[in-house]
Amino acid sequence: MTRRILVVDDQPDLRLLIRMTLRALGEVSQAASAEAAQAALAVSVPDLLVLDVWLGEGISGLAFCRQLKDDPATRGMKIMLLSACGQQSDVAAGMAAGADHYMVKPFSPETLLDAAAGLLAG
Amino acid sequence: MIMNETLHTPAPLGPDEARRLQVLIDLNLLDSAPDERFDRITRLAARIFNVPTALVSLIDAERQWFKSRVGIDVPETPRSDSFCAHAIQQDDVMVVVDACADARFANNPLVLGDAGIRFYAGSPIDVGDGVRIGTLCIVDRVPREFGHAERTLLRDLAGIVANEVAALQLKATVERERRGAAALRALLEHLPDGVLLLGQDGKLVSCNPAAERLFGAPCQVLSGLAPAELLGMQPRAVARHEGNARRADGASFAADVSIAAMALDGQAFLVATVRDAAWHRAEQERVRAANARRHDFFRTASHELRTPMASILGFSELMLKREFDAATGRELIDIIHRQATRLIGLVNQMLDLARIDAGGSAQMHPAPLDLAETMDQVIAALEAPGQAARIDLAPVAGPARVTADPLRVQQALANIMANALAYSGPDSRVRVGIAPAPHEGRAGFTITVRDQGVGMTPEQRNQVQDAFWRAGSLPDVAGNGLGMTIVREIVALHCGVVDIASTPGDGTTVTLWLPLEMPAAPEARP
Repeated sequence: MTRRILVVDDQPDLRLLIRMTLRALGEVSQAASAEAAQAALAVSVPDLLVLDVWLGEGISGLAFCRQLKDDPATRGMKIMLLSACGQQSDVAAGMAAGADHYMVKPFSPETLLDAAAGLLAG
Repeated sequence: MIMNETLHTPAPLGPDEARRLQVLIDLNLLDSAPDERFDRITRLAARIFNVPTALVSLIDAERQWFKSRVGIDVPETPRSDSFCAHAIQQDDVMVVVDACADARFANNPLVLGDAGIRFYAGSPIDVGDGVRIGTLCIVDRVPREFGHAERTLLRDLAGIVANEVAALQLKATVERERRGAAALRALLEHLPDGVLLLGQDGKLVSCNPAAERLFGAPCQVLSGLAPAELLGMQPRAVARHEGNARRADGASFAADVSIAAMALDGQAFLVATVRDAAWHRAEQERVRAANARRHDFFRTASHELRTPMASILGFSELMLKREFDAATGRELIDIIHRQATRLIGLVNQMLDLARIDAGGSAQMHPAPLDLAETMDQVIAALEAPGQAARIDLAPVAGPARVTADPLRVQQALANIMANALAYSGPDSRVRVGIAPAPHEGRAGFTITVRDQGVGMTPEQRNQVQDAFWRAGSLPDVAGNGLGMTIVREIVALHCGVVDIASTPGDGTTVTLWLPLEMPAAPEARP
């Protein structure tokens, strides 16, 4: 069965990087904002959501993560937060929002691939 | 004379001599001016007992000093010769009927010498607690008998002397207290803090002038108002309450209140001190806000530095570990290059900002410059191809000369131009105008940069000068959000003004005003 992954990041270069990195795991789609991701999730819920924390204008990645984990329709989806905020308190806030994993930018594509594979297998 | 001095017997010292001397000194009677209240008693004694000499003698450490004297010219004699030094050692009147017949005094110089004392009667002056500071004594050159009635009379007169001493002491105490109270009142009158005295019923009893000033009404008016309203809290003992107090006219003000319980004549009171805390609170808030801003800046700065690094490291690692066709490889290299360029631009702007922040006006190098020429230089320095052609620089009427830091002004204008070009369509025009204009009575020039770009909402317009803020609708713009922060800092150093007018979808106009001259000493920011 093909795994489906949704990448949410406001930076197009990073969306491309993550898509290229995770392509080996399955079908990777993308969204530039939480609002765009919400629209995509309404159609179908993927296996893994790779979510940036600071998404510019609009709802933040943390609030979006909390919202998805509180919603029975999306609760089963794995969420990996991916952020350039790398302080311990940032990671703690991410985990408190219900994330399954928190990865700090910049990251090694190989590490991202391993972490994503781990979440999809778990 | 030698024999005289060696044979007579000085009086022994009492067990409480030190305390006695201290009491005497504290009375401030020694070496004081003659006083009628004592003189009338010695005159009376001399008359009643029909003796040539009557004295109020105070026994000091080494002498007897006469507070009042009749029939003797010297103000003091040595204590070693003193009859009175003996007299204060006994409870009752000491009588020496004939000194020549008394072993203690037969060889006393006062007996043998010109004074020729034969008779002595002295009654101790007891000022309380058995402390005898001296005597009231009478002296004669002939021996005399001294009966019971006479002893009683002398004792009574000594009692009157003691009363006069007590009266003097009382007067001194009252005077001291009056001065103390006056000092305390003056202290309260001049204390910058408001002081309010609240009675047991919770009503205001009195207050000091500072309180009247703080609350904006005289004490009589304030006492008609509820202290809980005035103080902004239920009156109770409290070390420090930071809240808001209320003036008589209802206006509220930031106040620090301290309240202590106090008993006065067996009645309970509360004393409230009130300090206007507006300045202090504003200062605290300013420091807190500055710290929060600095914290936010570093948090955002590290985020903004890490983001391009994520592309650079990620794509280069992919290229090292995977095989790509030439076209894709080139595309990835292009991304890495673009992100590295963005990174160095960001680092440079952060360093600029840090330099401006650290240097302040001391690092400014003002020089005469022409704003039209500076704008030409800014346009000529634009790197992106074709951008200069989008700019319409309106002809400037006459020279636009100001005194300012040329490099800083160029940097500010370059940032404004870069924003205008980046946030508007690639073929749209950017119009630039330079004109003389006064601002709040000061002569200067305005530079107006008007684009036809995405524009901004009022909220966005307020945010635009915050560090790292970027117009969200255009994430592809390679700006990094520090441009307008730098503009704002540079303009502030020149005591100029920067204004942004914009509506979403209808372009943005940035107006920068610079004074003709930079003020020599910029006002210190409070």
